[in-house]
Amino acid sequence: MEEPQGEKSSQPQDDWVRFISSDGYSFLVKRKVALASPTLRGMLDVSSNFAEAAMNTCRLEERGIVVEKLLEYLAYKSTFESAPKKEDIPDFMERIAPEIALELLMAADYYDS
Amino acid sequence: MSTARRIVKPKIKAPKKHGPNISIDDTWSKLSVNIAEILNHRAEHLSFEENHRYAYNMVLWKAGETLYKGTCKLLAENLDKLAEQDIKSVFPSGSIDDPIQRSQEGETLLKAVRKVWDDHTTALSRLRDVLRYMDRVYTKQAGVPEIWDAGLLIFLEHIIRPPFQDHIIAAILTQIQTERDGYVINRSAVKGCVDVLLTLKERDSSVTIYKRDLEPAILQESELFYKTEGEKLLEISAAPEYLQRVESRFDSEESRTHHYLSSQTSAPLRRILENYLLSPHLYAILHKLHSGLDFMIDGDKLEDLLRLYRLFVMVPEGLPSLKKALRESVIRRGKDINAAGVTIENMTQAADDEGGKNKGKGKGRPPTSAVQTLQLALKWVQDVLDLKDRFDSIWAKSFKSDRDVEATLNEAFETFINLNGRSPEFISLFIDDHLKKGMKGKSENEVDAVLDKTITVFRFISDKDIFETHYKKHLAKRLLQGRSISDDAERGMLAKLKVECGTQFTQRMEGMFHDMRISADTMKAYHKHLAQTTAPDVELSVIIQTSTFWPTSGSQTTCAFPELLAKATKSFEQFYLSRHTGRRLTWQKWLGNADVRATFKSGKTHELNVSTLAMVILLLFEDLDDSDFLTYEDIKSATSISDVELQRQLQSLACAKFKILKKHPPGREVSMNDSFSFNADFSAPLFKIKIGTIASKVENADERKETKNRVDEERRYQMEACIVRIMKDRKHMPHNDLVNEVTRQLTSRFLPNPLDIKKRIEGLIEREYLERWTICHPLYSTFHSCQLIFCKVISRRAKNRNLYISYH
Repeated sequence: MEEPQGEKSSQPQDDWVRFISSDGYSFLVKRKVALASPTLRGMLDVSSNFAEAAMNTCRLEERGIVVEKLLEYLAYKSTFESAPKKEDIPDFMERIAPEIALELLMAADYYDS
Repeated sequence: MSTARRIVKPKIKAPKKHGPNISIDDTWSKLSVNIAEILNHRAEHLSFEENHRYAYNMVLWKAGETLYKGTCKLLAENLDKLAEQDIKSVFPSGSIDDPIQRSQEGETLLKAVRKVWDDHTTALSRLRDVLRYMDRVYTKQAGVPEIWDAGLLIFLEHIIRPPFQDHIIAAILTQIQTERDGYVINRSAVKGCVDVLLTLKERDSSVTIYKRDLEPAILQESELFYKTEGEKLLEISAAPEYLQRVESRFDSEESRTHHYLSSQTSAPLRRILENYLLSPHLYAILHKLHSGLDFMIDGDKLEDLLRLYRLFVMVPEGLPSLKKALRESVIRRGKDINAAGVTIENMTQAADDEGGKNKGKGKGRPPTSAVQTLQLALKWVQDVLDLKDRFDSIWAKSFKSDRDVEATLNEAFETFINLNGRSPEFISLFIDDHLKKGMKGKSENEVDAVLDKTITVFRFISDKDIFETHYKKHLAKRLLQGRSISDDAERGMLAKLKVECGTQFTQRMEGMFHDMRISADTMKAYHKHLAQTTAPDVELSVIIQTSTFWPTSGSQTTCAFPELLAKATKSFEQFYLSRHTGRRLTWQKWLGNADVRATFKSGKTHELNVSTLAMVILLLFEDLDDSDFLTYEDIKSATSISDVELQRQLQSLACAKFKILKKHPPGREVSMNDSFSFNADFSAPLFKIKIGTIASKVENADERKETKNRVDEERRYQMEACIVRIMKDRKHMPHNDLVNEVTRQLTSRFLPNPLDIKKRIEGLIEREYLERWTICHPLYSTFHSCQLIFCKVISRRAKNRNLYISYH
């Protein structure tokens, strides 16, 4: 969904944010999705104006596969967060591969999501 | 779970290791440099991720405390530096007198403080983002405030402290004072600083610094200011201006708290205004010479009065003192009206006493003063109505139709109206004046409106029975002399009185109307009867009055009718008694009037409308020559009219505008030695001439006394009737309760004096209608605590059968 993978050169737009994993993968996601994580929100806060916010690009100290899952989760979260209770919400657990579970858990703690 | 379905479990790779390979000290030294950069607003080249990870690592590796304390220290140092360079440099010199300059200095200081604050909080918010992990994990464990709150506390500790704090508060106060003095200040600068103080709180307390330090200072300053301001203003300005200024003070303080202080200060500040500008000066405002309440009422200053009311209702003592002043004002005005009446009356009476010879141009003895006093009575009522109108309009327009105020006004009116003992008579006269035919050229609606208003005044009278007596008398006169403006108007008035006082009050007056109707029917029947038999020479018109309905007033005098009249009356008497058996007719000769046709020397014939008595006198002259005289004694013996009445009649015939008789010697007063002749030379342009029947007038002293006696007697009956009525119902009753009950039942008619009631009770006991029982109450052992109980012993039906009704 949110993976125009590789070095697809697109101008950093306002509503798209680029994430680069420690192993060099780059992800473009909607800003709204990224802001679902408080840590990322602080990182991208224009008023604080850190380097990440200025460049609209965040380098994350995680492997690409973890970053991907993290962003997937954020997308999942921002989609269903405001959904009414009755609606059938698919279980995210099914999508987590056990191989990265532990790493993802730590990332979750770090990104507070 | 998805894992459950998988048979071969893939190997879980251990996560990448962080950590011990990184030195804590190293991390902190890097982070602290970056924090310093953030504090200097140079974050754009820093990586958020990097710093966040530093902090994360430090917390993870149990170095949270180092991180937290280090950050706080950096914040504190930074603040001290900022304070030193930004705030200290703009400290006001404090020795400048020019208010504008001083206020500018204050403004600069406040702006500087705000700038430091803004600096601090922006940096703090960045730090909060970077140190988010610390806030989440470390602060909770360690039980210290999160970094944002810690930052605020540091600000509090390093900026809001002497000498900064004193300067800040002083600067704010100066700004407020400057604005109060009428200069324009930079409100947003003050607001900026006030907002800072509103945000800051001591640790673990919910009271803001604003509440703790600034508000008391503001209130204290305001108290001082308004205390002197109130006194100064009151001294230099008139009451309306004072109120105007006070109101604008209220408004400006309200907008002040709204715009740059806190709304929580609004209430106490308002109280200060109330306490210093209003409460202590209420009396002074109301009674200020040439501008107080009276002045405003005199000048119809509705706006000012409205303002006065608006302000006065704010403070608890306001309305009562306004009411008191209004009461006094109304009563004073009322007394003036009363006094105006009395002085004129005294004057005329004095003039009257001096001797009517040099005064009065017409009807002799009473007319001058009577007319004047009548005018006076009418004027009195009109004045009262005007006064009432004025206060009503003020009440409606300025006092927002406040019920309390209305009650006070009514009470005041009641007081002064009842101070004038003759008010019931005056009001009745006023109504009489308006219900009389051909007066003033007012339309019926206008008259109705006036009468409606009169009713409102009537409501204030406590002695309604006196009014009733007078009204009956005046009504009788109107009916008998046919001078009512219209039957409808009379009935309308009666209906109004009925609404006010109930059927009992108007019963007799309605009886009078009834009599008039019956009389008309009777007269029709009588004329029919006459057509069949021989009619007497005189055409007769009779009004039959039921004796209990009509007031038996006036100078009751006898009069011998000449043959001609006697026959006519006899004829009617026979007719009437033949229709009704068991009735007694008494001729009230002094109430009637007659049309007499007379021919004078000029050959002209005039129709003279005179009173019955005057007609009797004129008839004496019928057979005489023009030159023949009749002495006073002759007339008196022929007519047997009493002296007083005879003099009055002769006066109106011989000394008034139309001189039908000649008096010898001529003069205005009739004395016993005068003699009279027919004035054949009389001429007048009109065919019909009305010879002055004396108009309804204010009573003179004697008549008043008589009325009073009658009223007193009437009251005695009423009290007795009331006592008996109550006792019939209750059988026995303690003395005081009985007195109270009687008072309660009779107040709609008059205000009974408890002493009089007691006397009536005694009287009834004497006549054995009641019996006194003295009973020791079982609860009281001492003798003097006995109660007096009255028992109704004899009812009219059960005469001589003594019923003792015991108590308990």
